[in-house]
Parts: sequence; C-alpha cells; structure tokens
Amino acid sequence: MPISRRRLMASGGSLAGLVLTGGLATACGSNTGREGGGASGAPVISQWYHQYGEPGAEQAVKRYAAAYRKAKVTVQWRPGNYDQQTAAALLTDSGPDVFEVNGPTLDQIRGGQVVDLTDLVSNDVRGDFNPTVLAPKVHDGKVWGIPQVIDTQLLYYRKGLLSDAGVEPPQSLDALVDAAKQLAEKLKGKKAKGLFLGNDGGAGVLGGTPLFASGLALITEDGRVGFDDPAAARALGKVHQLHAEKSLLLGAPADWPDPSAFIQGLTAMQWSGLWALPQIKKALGDDFGVLPFPKDGPNGKPAVPVGAYATAVSARSKDKAAAKAYAKWLWVERTDYQEDFALSYGFHIPARTSLAEKAERLREGPAADAVRLATEYGYAEPLLWTPAAKVAYQDALSRVIKDGANPESELRAVVRKTDAELRRVRKSA
Amino acid sequence: MKSAQGPRGNEDALVRAGRALRLVLLIALAALFLIPFYLLLRNGLATEQDITSADWTFFPSELKWSNLRELFDDPAVPMAHALLNSTLIAVATTLGTLLLASLAGYGLARIPYRFANTVFYAILGTLMVPAAVTFVPTFVLVSSLGWVSSLRGLIVPTLFSAFACFVFRQYFLGFPKELEDAAHIDGLGHWRTYWRIVVPNSRPVFAAVGTIVFIGAWNAFLWPLVIGQDKDAWTVQVALSTFLTSQTVNIHELFVAAAVSIVPLLLVFVLLQRYIVAGVERSGIDD
Amino acid sequence: MQRTQRSLTARLLGPQNRNLWFWVFVGPFAIGLALFTYVPLAWSVYLSFFDAHNTVSPTHFVGLDNYLSMLGDSAFTSSLWTFVVFTLFIVPATYALALGLALAVNRLRFAQAFFRSVFFLPAACSYVVAALVWKLSIFNGVRFGLANTVLGWFGGDQTAWLSTTHPPWYWLVIVTVRLWLQAGFYMILFLAGLQRVPIQLYEAAAVDGARAGWQTFRHITFPALRATSVAVVLLLVINAFQAFDEFYNLLSDSRGYPPYARPPLVYLYYTALGQGQNLGLGSAGAVILALIVAVVTVAQARWFGLGRKEA
Repeated sequence: MPISRRRLMASGGSLAGLVLTGGLATACGSNTGREGGGASGAPVISQWYHQYGEPGAEQAVKRYAAAYRKAKVTVQWRPGNYDQQTAAALLTDSGPDVFEVNGPTLDQIRGGQVVDLTDLVSNDVRGDFNPTVLAPKVHDGKVWGIPQVIDTQLLYYRKGLLSDAGVEPPQSLDALVDAAKQLAEKLKGKKAKGLFLGNDGGAGVLGGTPLFASGLALITEDGRVGFDDPAAARALGKVHQLHAEKSLLLGAPADWPDPSAFIQGLTAMQWSGLWALPQIKKALGDDFGVLPFPKDGPNGKPAVPVGAYATAVSARSKDKAAAKAYAKWLWVERTDYQEDFALSYGFHIPARTSLAEKAERLREGPAADAVRLATEYGYAEPLLWTPAAKVAYQDALSRVIKDGANPESELRAVVRKTDAELRRVRKSA
Repeated sequence: MKSAQGPRGNEDALVRAGRALRLVLLIALAALFLIPFYLLLRNGLATEQDITSADWTFFPSELKWSNLRELFDDPAVPMAHALLNSTLIAVATTLGTLLLASLAGYGLARIPYRFANTVFYAILGTLMVPAAVTFVPTFVLVSSLGWVSSLRGLIVPTLFSAFACFVFRQYFLGFPKELEDAAHIDGLGHWRTYWRIVVPNSRPVFAAVGTIVFIGAWNAFLWPLVIGQDKDAWTVQVALSTFLTSQTVNIHELFVAAAVSIVPLLLVFVLLQRYIVAGVERSGIDD
Repeated sequence: MQRTQRSLTARLLGPQNRNLWFWVFVGPFAIGLALFTYVPLAWSVYLSFFDAHNTVSPTHFVGLDNYLSMLGDSAFTSSLWTFVVFTLFIVPATYALALGLALAVNRLRFAQAFFRSVFFLPAACSYVVAALVWKLSIFNGVRFGLANTVLGWFGGDQTAWLSTTHPPWYWLVIVTVRLWLQAGFYMILFLAGLQRVPIQLYEAAAVDGARAGWQTFRHITFPALRATSVAVVLLLVINAFQAFDEFYNLLSDSRGYPPYARPPLVYLYYTALGQGQNLGLGSAGAVILALIVAVVTVAQARWFGLGRKEA
C-alpha cells in the first residue's frame, strides 16, 4: 500500500481510530482561497495538505506558499481522514486547486478528476525522481502526481534486548518467528512482547510486504495477479504463527506509526516508519538497529515498502494553468524547499535522488542503513492494485493472522476478486 | 411499596436485607459508571510517566494543572475558539430545532388535514434512513449552495430533526383540548393560540427536547468536520480529533482536551436535570 | 368557471383555512426535511443504478448490477449478520439494565437524585470521548490498561481486548461503551413511566396478599410500563440500526477496518466514501439496508400495535 503514512498517522491506530468519523469527512474547506481574490488580480490558488504531526511542517508549507509571486496561495491544513476528505471535495466545486494525495488512485485518474502533469516534468527531471515511487503516479505513460517525499517502513530492534536473549537480528522470516518467540518468553516477566506489527497483528501495515519478501508481487509487470502461488500462502502462514505463539504485542495505545511502544519497552522489535527514527534515537541512543522485512523461501528477498504522497491538480480548478504553474514551481523547481520539507521536520527521504544523495542527515548510522535498504529492496504498490482488491486482501490477511483461517483458500478468493478488478479497469480503459 | 403486611419479624429482616443488598449493588454500579470520568481526570492531569508506568497509579503523583494551560496555549489547536463555536452552534441548533419541530408537531397533532398522517409518516420514515449513507449527496448539495465553511452550513442542514418533531406531535396529541377551545372561543386563531396558550403551558417538553438536541449538536462530529474545516470554524469535537491525528500520541493532552470538552454539557446536565426529568415525564416521549 | 375556481381555492384552503394553517405550521419543517433528507435520498437511489466510481453525476447505467453484486458480496451479507447479532444483544441488554436501574433508583428513600445523576451523566458524553477512554485507558492491550491491571491482580494474562477474535473480546468493549452511554437516558424514561403507575394498584395488590417484589413487578409494574417499554424498544432498535460511531472509533485504523465486528454502515462507508469511491455500489447497499430497516420497524410497530392510538 502506498504507504500512507500520513494517513496512518491520522489514525495512529489506536488513537487515530478515533478520528472517527473523520472519515467521512469530507471536506470541503473553505473557499477562502478562491474568493479572496488577489488585489493585483493575480490568480488565487487553494492548496491542501493533510495534517502532518511534525512541529513546524505547517509553518514551513505556508512559508513556501507565501514566497510564490505569480499567484496568491492559501494553504489548508486538514486534520482527520484526509483521503476521504479530498475524495469527497473533488466531487464539488469547493475543493482544492492543488492538493497532496495518497495516490491519485486509478479511478481518480480515469474519472478525469486530476489533471495530466506530464509537461511539468521534463525528461531529465523525471529521471531524477526515485523510479519506484514515481511508477504508481504514471498511467498510460502520463504523470498524474509529483512525488513529494518518500515514506518507508522498517523493522526496528533493540540491540541490548536481543543480545540479552541470545538472539541474532533475524535475516529470514523463519528467524523472525523464532526470535519473536524467544524474546516474548524472555520478556514475559516485564509484561512485554517480542514484536509489534500494529494492533491488528499486522494485517493493515504489512499489506503486500510478506508477498514481496517471498519473491512475489501484488500485480505483475504485465498486469496480472502476482500472488497466485503457494509461496504466498506459506509466507502468510508464518505471520499467523507469530500471532498464534503470542509473540506479538497487541492493543498498544499508540499504533505502529508511533514508536512509543518500542521506546516504553513494551516490545523488543517494532515495525514502524522511518519518520519515527529521530524520536527513537533520542530515547534509546545507539541501542537500536533497523532491518528490512526478512526474506522467505528460496526465491525470497528482503522487502521494504516505499511510497510517496504526491502533489496533484484538481480538474475542477478554475485556473488549471495557474495551479499547474504553482505545482511545478514548488515541487519541481524549488529543490531548496523540497529538501527543507523532507529533512527539517521529521525524517523522510527526498523524492529526488539528487537531493537524497547529498542529505547529511541520511549519511550515518541507522538512517544510512534505512536509506540503503529502501533503495535496494524498496517496492511500491502498483496503481492497478485498486482499493477494492486491497480491502479483499486485507480482510483475508486479517482472518489468516488472527483466526488462523486457511491461507490457500483465503488467497484464492482474493485472486478472484483482484482478477475481476483488473478486468473492470481494463474493460473501460 | 411500603406496604408491609403485618409485623412479622423475619420477613421484615428479609426486606431489610434486600434493601441493603440493593443499595450495595447500586453503589457498586454507580462506581462503575463513574470510572470513565475518573480516568478522564486522572489521565488529563497526570504526567505521561504516571499514565504509562507498569504499576497502576490511582492518583497521579502530582496533579499537573499545567496540562490545562498547555492545552489552551497550544497554537496548533484553538481550543478556546472551538469552545465558542460549539456553543454558538449548539445554541442556534437547539433554538431552531425547537421552533421548527414544535410548530410542525403542533400542526400534525392539532390541525385537521386530510393528509396529515401521510405527512407524519413521511417525516417519521426519515428516522430509518442511515444518515452516513446519504452523506455524500448532502455534502454535494450543501456545497453547491455555497455553504461550505460557514455557520449556515454547519447549522441549517441539521435543524430538521424528525425525532424532535415526533416527540412534539405525541405530546401535543395529549395536550388538554379545553385550553385550546377556550382560546378559539376568545377568537384566537391557530397561530396566536399556539404562542399564547400552547407554548407557555408546554415548557417541560421544550426543556426535554432542547436538552437532547443540545447534547446531539454539541457532540456532533462528522458534519462539522466536513463543513467547517477552516480552523476558525472548528468545533470542540473537531479540535479533539486533531490530537488523535497527530503523529505522536500525546496522551495527557488528549485526555485533558476530552475532559474540557464535556464540562459544558455536564454543567447543563447538573443545572437542568430536574427540568429534563420533569419534561420527559410530561412529554410523552415514552408513550 | 369562476365558481369552480373559487371552489378549488376553497377546497385547497379547507374549512376555516385549515389546510393553509396546517402548512404554515408544518411547511417550513417539511421543506427543510425534503431538501436535506429526501433529495439526497433520491439521489442515492439514482446513483445505485449507475456505475458511479468517483462521481455523483454518472452516465453509465448498469441496471440492477450493483444490487446483485452487493447481495452476492459475502462481506456485505456477513456485515448484516453482525448487525443482527449486535441488535439482538444490545437491545435486551440496554432494556434490562435501564429498567433495573430505574426500579432500584425509584425505590430509594435517600440520595435518589445523586444516583439518578450518576447514571444519567454518561448521556452527556460523545462517542468520541467514550471511545477514547475505552480504547486507550480501559481496554487497551498493554500493562497500563485498567482492565489488564485488574486482571493482573488476579494473576490473569494481559489481553488485547480489541484485537482478540477467539474469544471475541471486542464485543465486550463495543457493548459496554453503548451500555454506558445510553442506559441512563432510558432509565429516565422508565422513571417517568414508574411515576405514572397509580399507587392504588399496589395497595389493592397488597390487600390481595401479593408480596412486594417479583409478584408486584410481574403483575403490576411491568404491565403498567407497557407503553414506555414499547417506546424504549423502538428507540433502541432504531439506534442500533444507525450504529456507526463506536465501531468506527474503536476498531478502524489508518489502513481500514478489520473484517470482524463490521456493521453494514461501516462497510458501506468504506465502499462509497473510502478511497474506493464506488458510490453506485455503496448507494445500492444503503438502499438495501434502508429497506431492511423499514420492514423491521414497520413489522415491529404492527406487532406492538403502535400507531393505532393516533390513527
């Protein structure tokens, strides 16, 4: 899944759930952007971001917007369930002109809700974007969203706790299962667990990661179901084993995006985002390391999910040319702002390879490891992995992990559903 | 039933024992019902360490009233302004709903009209429509009226409560006809009868319905989140949600915000409880 | 010609302009309700016959396809069962608790107002606040959760209440939230009902030798509360049908919603309003749901003989 970290935050699982209904939330924000009118007759652009948790991020994007001379840009900083807010707002005229999006989704593109941005990225610039995160923004050879920053997730582990228990950092899924079990037994007295994959046991955050770790894919290059294979069921079965052996932490107040459980010592290992790294470093110093999701089976390779929120332009914008010009200025031309945004508030990998390479903060310790892992083993959810298929897969994964449902039969149903979705989008394409 | 059937000793003892048991049970239940309030206060006024420590601390080692200041000083969340907005919206919604629903309820109950029952069932039927489902069309409709991020948009669509209308109609069905007849004989029409005779004699039902509507308006979350997205238009519930959506969960600030968000309603409850109960008794909500 | 016209006007206005007055009173409310409920409702019905991905003005008519695929969707049908199970449990449970509280509070000779307030206060809380307390403080799965602390005193293992499916502990969390929030309100309704039971009935029963307690409850109090009971059950059922808030707040996370304890409204919410934005399919599900609710409510009203009084 396109790592919707932002979204995640939103939910922060536990907490976030609360966001309740945020969901519906639709949106609509104020029109201030449009009606205010530039005194000089300059175009007025309304730009939306979801609420980032990092202090200073809101002020930063407002500063960038204020520096733009050719239009008056008003920034909306929106709490709650952002994906649903934008989805609903795009149905009306009171939505944004320029907005960040965890997508855009295939149906948003095909429904003509977003504007083609291909001409904003010239060929050499296009080559500078991380290819893995750019790929899901491209449909029919056209670019529909400009990646802002790369978000990625990793396995954090406490070095001290592992060596106390005589456990090596796991290099295979089997080793992870064993390690988590041993750690959980060792930590029983402290009422802590071996591994934290989120309060749902991993169904949500893992997504396709175990499939990639066993050498498969969600959708193949030629647009077919990529996990119709016994290796898929085998990998999911091992994730269930983690749950069945009670090695997993469940029900933490803050869900996996938040490193609290890891820092508070409720778990020896945690799957979380790169954004959590500064907080962990501050609390634990050098007593931690990062790993990819370990490989499984003979064809397996480690897997690291990557994704990016992208900037898109609404097809309902009253001045699409001005909106595109602004999007280009901020997210293509102003590399200084892009760098500032990625690195000064929280911790992200810039979407542009040239910026990522010169970033000081990403050059040493676990941060450097993380960047290397994301580059080497990064995978992104393909555009053809539609929300309907994703929901079916996630439901199946949850039943496999928690209820011990048979992975083969559960996956067969998902394959059928995914096939149907692929046929649907091909037919009307 | 104070009855007592005669002074038979052991039965008396039995009754007394039963009464004591009932009291103990009630006290236990009351304690259970108060636990969430206790947790709101405890977590809201404690340090993060006290909340997350391995051993349960019944009372925080020190009461951090500064959490409150921290909440109101947090520039990211305009809590004071949100309280004001919620108050405005809840009051306006309550007054508007009372006016519209009571007029409609009276018309349905007391003005003979061939299709009155049809209209009544058409209104009642909307209670069965799951609101979350017609949400998108409603939102598109309101935004095409240009009401997004305005108080109008926050208030007007929520003014038409079928439930309130239903309660008023049931109540007015039982309103003493003699009073109205006297008014009609004095030459008052429907309109003036309504305002001079009916309303002044129906205060409890207005209090009861008003309280229910007020609570609903104060606690509404979905619609305010959608329509009032400007920080200036945030309600308390929306502000609360921003604590939930931040990347880092700040448990004590979350709880102190939640505690603050229920204070106004608790005040309303404690002050108006007598009227609410009296109103329910006379309103016929329950028949 | 003129006469017929006049009589038409007269007919429209009704005797003593009653029709006119009816609409003066009912009109503003009816118009608003039509605009903000019936128009969106009709729009939803319209959408349900179209392939409406990411649009509210679809062009591709698909007939009953959305209905067929919704009815053939095992996730949707299982959500309907979730809903039935939830309703069958929460309605009797709330009813019994509210009635029990009312009976106990009603007979108190002192501190009655205090106990009434305590049980009524939760009605002032929102589902957001209640879900927050339940999820983060009482029923979280770690060592500093209240439920786990209490379990720990008795040597129990810590439990992840919301994510354990065998046994389904999450129901305990969901049901207690709702009980806490609404029992007090219905208790007030019952208290009001109890005030109206004529004291003479009890006196007569005492003369006949009925003993206070179960017998008087069974033969006097309970029958006398019939009207209240009917109203309470109807309200409880309607509220159960609309259940969304506590489920969503307790169980959803950034990645969606688990496949268990997923009532239809939550499922439809994700179908229609989630990133899927399949508004046609979501609307079809909503129409199916609304029809089910309507049938059940009408059947119930018939069963209780409701509506006869006013007819």
